[in-house]
Amino acid sequence: MPELLGPGGSVEMVQAVVDSGADTVYVGARGWSRRRADFEMTDDDVRRSIEVAHAGGVKIRMAFNTQPRSVEVPLLLRAMERYVGWGIDGAIMTDVGCIQAVHQAFPELVIHASVGCTILNLEDCFFYRDLGASQIVADVKLSPQEIQARKDAGLGTEVLIHANTCYTYLGRCWMSSHIRYDTTTAQDGKRYYLGSPNRGGLCHRSCLQEWDMTGTNGQTIPRVHMRNDVFFRVREIPSYISMGVDTLKIQGREYTVPLVSEIVRFYRDLVDAYQAAPALWRPEPWMMRLADIEAQRDAQRNRMTADLYEEAAHAFEQPIFSDAAGMAAQCEL
Amino acid sequence: MTRNLSVELNTAIPNLQTLQASDLAAYDTVYLGAPFCLKYEGNFLTHEEDLRQAVEILRRQGKRVFLSTYAIPLTTQLDAVRKSVACGVEAGVDGVEIHNMGVARMLAREFSGLSLVAGSFANVYTDMTAAVLQEHGVRRVVPNHELPLDEINVLQQNSDLEIELLVHGKIPLGVSESCFLLGYQETTGIHCPDLCQQDFRLRREDWEMISLGKAVVSGKDMCMIEHLPALLGAGYRVFRLEGLSESVEYRSTVAQVYREAIDIAVGNRARFGDHLPDYLQRLDRVSTGFCNGYYFGLPGRFYRNGEESDLPAAV
Repeated sequence: MPELLGPGGSVEMVQAVVDSGADTVYVGARGWSRRRADFEMTDDDVRRSIEVAHAGGVKIRMAFNTQPRSVEVPLLLRAMERYVGWGIDGAIMTDVGCIQAVHQAFPELVIHASVGCTILNLEDCFFYRDLGASQIVADVKLSPQEIQARKDAGLGTEVLIHANTCYTYLGRCWMSSHIRYDTTTAQDGKRYYLGSPNRGGLCHRSCLQEWDMTGTNGQTIPRVHMRNDVFFRVREIPSYISMGVDTLKIQGREYTVPLVSEIVRFYRDLVDAYQAAPALWRPEPWMMRLADIEAQRDAQRNRMTADLYEEAAHAFEQPIFSDAAGMAAQCEL
Repeated sequence: MTRNLSVELNTAIPNLQTLQASDLAAYDTVYLGAPFCLKYEGNFLTHEEDLRQAVEILRRQGKRVFLSTYAIPLTTQLDAVRKSVACGVEAGVDGVEIHNMGVARMLAREFSGLSLVAGSFANVYTDMTAAVLQEHGVRRVVPNHELPLDEINVLQQNSDLEIELLVHGKIPLGVSESCFLLGYQETTGIHCPDLCQQDFRLRREDWEMISLGKAVVSGKDMCMIEHLPALLGAGYRVFRLEGLSESVEYRSTVAQVYREAIDIAVGNRARFGDHLPDYLQRLDRVSTGFCNGYYFGLPGRFYRNGEESDLPAAV
């Protein structure tokens, strides 16, 4: 039976995810995970989250899935030492060198190669396994055949079942930091990034803007969009279970606690219902229940995207997209 | 003027037609193949006879030749990568550029002793990642373009790998499994593989980027000509002039300017500033704007123009 992995953007969310039936919850330490600081945790919150999760019989995984600076690796190892000492059950990581260093320093720690690694083929999987990763997070763009091949090869496999897909491969995109990017360096030498999702800061979602596309032949196509889809895998969950997928992951540290709680409860119920009577399971009722979740989630995501555009325009005192307010209005639609 | 042989200028050429039309006199090394898309017109990665011819042509010109590999291979595409590399090795390439860790692992196992270059999509951000790749046969690293120079300096100091810097040309901004332009075949009346040859620019206010189909690159050119003496002073010797999707004129002009600039910077640095306006003017003629990428810790599209400047010291 696969574990159900839920997001922990705050201690309150960790508690809600535990109460809603997740088997594992993931959290991010401030500056080390692919989310903005609002959805990452201080050390105190990490410690409290570990207590909350373990008290509920749930495992907890730390996201260390940013691309750090070379000089920050000792800081990362010290932070990892603290969290391992406090009892985390695993780490989600991206940087190849850091995965190897952490595995060598903490050989018992379970390491998950993050979706940000963009692991696309079996040789890729073996590369990260050789480094010390025991579980590989599958990119959302992979086919069921590719995922099956991983299970056939005996690889620990995690799939996202509730997420958002970008036009590019996650971990292979620099559009956000190309347009807006700023850094601050703390006293301990940790650098914090605004605008680079790969390095820990928020993504400005620049790709979601409307573009005018012009070719060398002078032809202009107005208002084109890059693809950005929701990724809900309700219909595929039975096949993932049949394949022996190890983890079903729900993304969403940035959403509200009630919504995340509802999402986790939804997938818990779905997985349990399927396990109880696979032959009787049908997707239709679950799709209907998902529709309400989807509406809430879309509203929150659109609001956050609109806020990002407004915030970005102010943060740099240089309104690159001068119609940020207009974009905000559009995103409300 | 005698060419400074210790400094390498390199570029990328996607296919035989482009190679035959290009003046590569000012380049030392050429990377063959378009790593973004296997359907790119005449891509060396899928046209073996063209690859053999290209290696022969470049050998006759005294160039070093590297073969690139597909940046985003699925398991089912690894055989195609293997076949292309086998062809390149047989033809006598000096090394192979990889962007994918699985490809690095496969080539290290199956082509013992082959020199590898970790390309920009390999996501080398730390010296420890570079060290891991070195164990897999990597001899040269292109640091991820998101790294500022202070971090690249650390990579350089903590490693005996060659560091290749993009100093001029479009910056990769993303790669996808699907082609963005394919959705516009009917609207434009242009079809694959001609579509991505059209240099489709995506514009919004003062920002623009170019869709090459599966890849997105910057609309402006990285331009580091003003900082060339400082880069040389810091010990960098391998410079990429990205020309993969550029015109023959662009490829030739940019290389001539940088070659002259290197020779002046090495031979008589005090005179470099006198020549700079001419260099910039000539580069500007074939460009649609300049930027410095992330080298100075600024957003990639910003251009810190002006005179030669001091580079950030290593931390």
